[in-house]
Amino acid sequence: MRVVIAEDSVLLREGIARLLGDAGFDVVARCGDAEELHRAVGALQPEVAIVDIRMPPTHTDEGLRAAVAIRAAHPGVRVLVLSQYVEPALALRLFADSADGAGYLLKDRISDVADFVGAVHRVAAGGTAVDPMIVSALVSRPRPDDPLQRLTPREREVLELMATGHSNQGIADRLVITLRAVEKYVSTIFGKLGIPATGAESRRVLAVLLFLRAE
Amino acid sequence: MTCIDALALGRSATAGRTVLIGLGGLAAVAMSVVLGAATDHVDSAVLFVWLMTTYIVSGLVAWHRRPDSRFGPLLIAVGFGAGLSNLAWSTNPVAFTVGQAFDLLVVALFLHVFLAFPTGRLPNRATRLLVGAAYAVSIGLQVTAMLLGAFGPDDLLAVVDAPDAAGIVHAVELLTLATLLLAGVAFLAVRRGAAHRRATRNLVDSFSLGLVSLAVLLVMGVFAGPGFPIVQRVTIAILGLAPVAFLIGLLDARLARTGVGDLVVDLRDADGDLQPALARALRDPSVSLLYWLPRYERWVDQEGRPAEAPAVKRVIRRDGEPIAAIVHHPSLADEPELLDAVVAATEMVLDNGRLRAELRASLAEVRGSRARVLEAGRQERRRLERDLHDGAQQRLVGLSLRLGILEERLKADAEARTAVTEAKREVAASLAELRDIAHGLYPAVLTGHGLAVALESVAGQASVPVRLDVRLPERPAEAVEVAAYYVVCESLTNIDRHAAATTVTVVIERRGDHLVVEVRDDGVGGADTANGSGLRGLADRVEALGGTLRVWSASAHGTRIRAELPCG
Repeated sequence: MRVVIAEDSVLLREGIARLLGDAGFDVVARCGDAEELHRAVGALQPEVAIVDIRMPPTHTDEGLRAAVAIRAAHPGVRVLVLSQYVEPALALRLFADSADGAGYLLKDRISDVADFVGAVHRVAAGGTAVDPMIVSALVSRPRPDDPLQRLTPREREVLELMATGHSNQGIADRLVITLRAVEKYVSTIFGKLGIPATGAESRRVLAVLLFLRAE
Repeated sequence: MTCIDALALGRSATAGRTVLIGLGGLAAVAMSVVLGAATDHVDSAVLFVWLMTTYIVSGLVAWHRRPDSRFGPLLIAVGFGAGLSNLAWSTNPVAFTVGQAFDLLVVALFLHVFLAFPTGRLPNRATRLLVGAAYAVSIGLQVTAMLLGAFGPDDLLAVVDAPDAAGIVHAVELLTLATLLLAGVAFLAVRRGAAHRRATRNLVDSFSLGLVSLAVLLVMGVFAGPGFPIVQRVTIAILGLAPVAFLIGLLDARLARTGVGDLVVDLRDADGDLQPALARALRDPSVSLLYWLPRYERWVDQEGRPAEAPAVKRVIRRDGEPIAAIVHHPSLADEPELLDAVVAATEMVLDNGRLRAELRASLAEVRGSRARVLEAGRQERRRLERDLHDGAQQRLVGLSLRLGILEERLKADAEARTAVTEAKREVAASLAELRDIAHGLYPAVLTGHGLAVALESVAGQASVPVRLDVRLPERPAEAVEVAAYYVVCESLTNIDRHAAATTVTVVIERRGDHLVVEVRDDGVGGADTANGSGLRGLADRVEALGGTLRVWSASAHGTRIRAELPCG
């Protein structure tokens, strides 16, 4: 699987490249800024682009803008953004109207090699990866008459895993329960929160995130 | 000698001078009348008496009222100069010769006095050259003509009898003088343009009229045209009117001075802003008042803003040090006594306005330095955040990554793997701490992504639900954004701590050229705006940018905080 990495810190760029190389990915380009990234993506059409959110020259929003632009211009290229910010709004800005084939992870996450590689695979396959810290920031928001109060702790756990982009099978593996049990939890949660069922697993991430973000 | 003695002596000297000149004037008038009556020049004599009287009397008044100006003495000189030419009526050859020699001196004197208005000094080199030429021509060519025997047998200066040559010289003299007079009219036109009061313009007009008719008279003298006697009478009458116009002007200035009494009352009620009252009293809408602040060694206006003091101003001094200046229209220099009176009246009430201007200047300085300190702090925090992000944070992430890779490779060695996992957890904790520190230093997300994004997570961390409404068509300046951000953060912190609120509404919008930030809660109210609770610091931050922070916090009615930040 062909991957492009855009990260201005050489140390991290090489670290990530090595990690993904070890995991069997083919790192076809390593970019130091957004411009190089655009060129590499245009020329190489990789399966996945891993993009640092803060890049030269101004270190403000270049990375995110590049990620959004690549998603718009190259629907076949999946984009995973790495960030130091626990900012749900930025993740949702990246997803815009579809979270399919996109991810927003904190940089810290790359040290959990298995999780990180799993997330890259998920995004590459058209799924979604949202950092657990983003999800927990959303979940812990104060809400008037908090509907999350109606969930059991287990249901809450399932909800958070859904929001991070895990499939039902993924959730089942994590919680060491059966797939059927997960499906049951999911439908209970959607019922309790009044989230309309979207059918496809990938679509539900955005629905859950938007639900959590709403006041 | 005491001051009063000196003053009395000065007065008696002035009085003596006046009496002497008056007597001299009377003698000259009497001489003209006697000579005129004896030689059938009665009509002319009457006109000359009018001329001499108006010039000498106005001259005396002017000298008395403005002892420092040479204008009065010049007027008197014109009066006597006119009398001198009447000697030409005498049958005594000596008197006749003197009278003839100085017959046209008065023409140069007219030019001189009109161009020297109002100070009595000729304003520039060109006018000095012009007047000098007039004197030289009026005496030099006249004497030359007399040497050629221009004026018959009583002319004691005649050395040859060449009446044709004498006639030509005399004609050249008259035409040259006429030309010089018309050149003088051009200078008067410039003078009139600079005049600011109508009375002054009228006076200059009467001078111009006098010079023009005098020039016409001289030209007619050359060509001996008909109606010469009539033009002569009209000219003398007009010339005699000029000092009358001048006297009226003086009287007008006196009237203006009585307006100073009103000024004192006006100024007392002016409450610091003395400018309108000054403009009324000086009848000069352009008047401005500047204060001298010795502490800053500069002039400031009434608002305490630094100001350039122009050349034309009247400085008000106290103990020799300047304390203020009245900046006025240049033509007000024509009315020194009015300015004197206004300065005296102003000085009495100056202290309030000056104190206020000084206070405002200090305030502006304090505000400026506060703004600079806050801005420098903001820049420094921003730099530190950036250093942390690019330095320590990246390195720790890198370290964490290496530990992660190591962890993967140590699958076989459980003990080593546990140690690495432990180390990785430590690094993760450090990273989380560092992220909090960096975020506390400076909201980098704000710089990168604007208020809506940055405030969303701030709102998410509050203990009560926050309705966030950011309506900004475009991003304001970073300093303004940061101030708005901190207004919201600090308000939410206060609400968490004190308000016992159930909901908070945050609205940020652009109103005109201001960014308006409003944070409303439904809590217990009664926020302490005077001390602490971070509100003071917020107010500092907002005011340093030239904005305002207002807090409404009636007990049991929630708290509303509104910051208005200029961003135009």
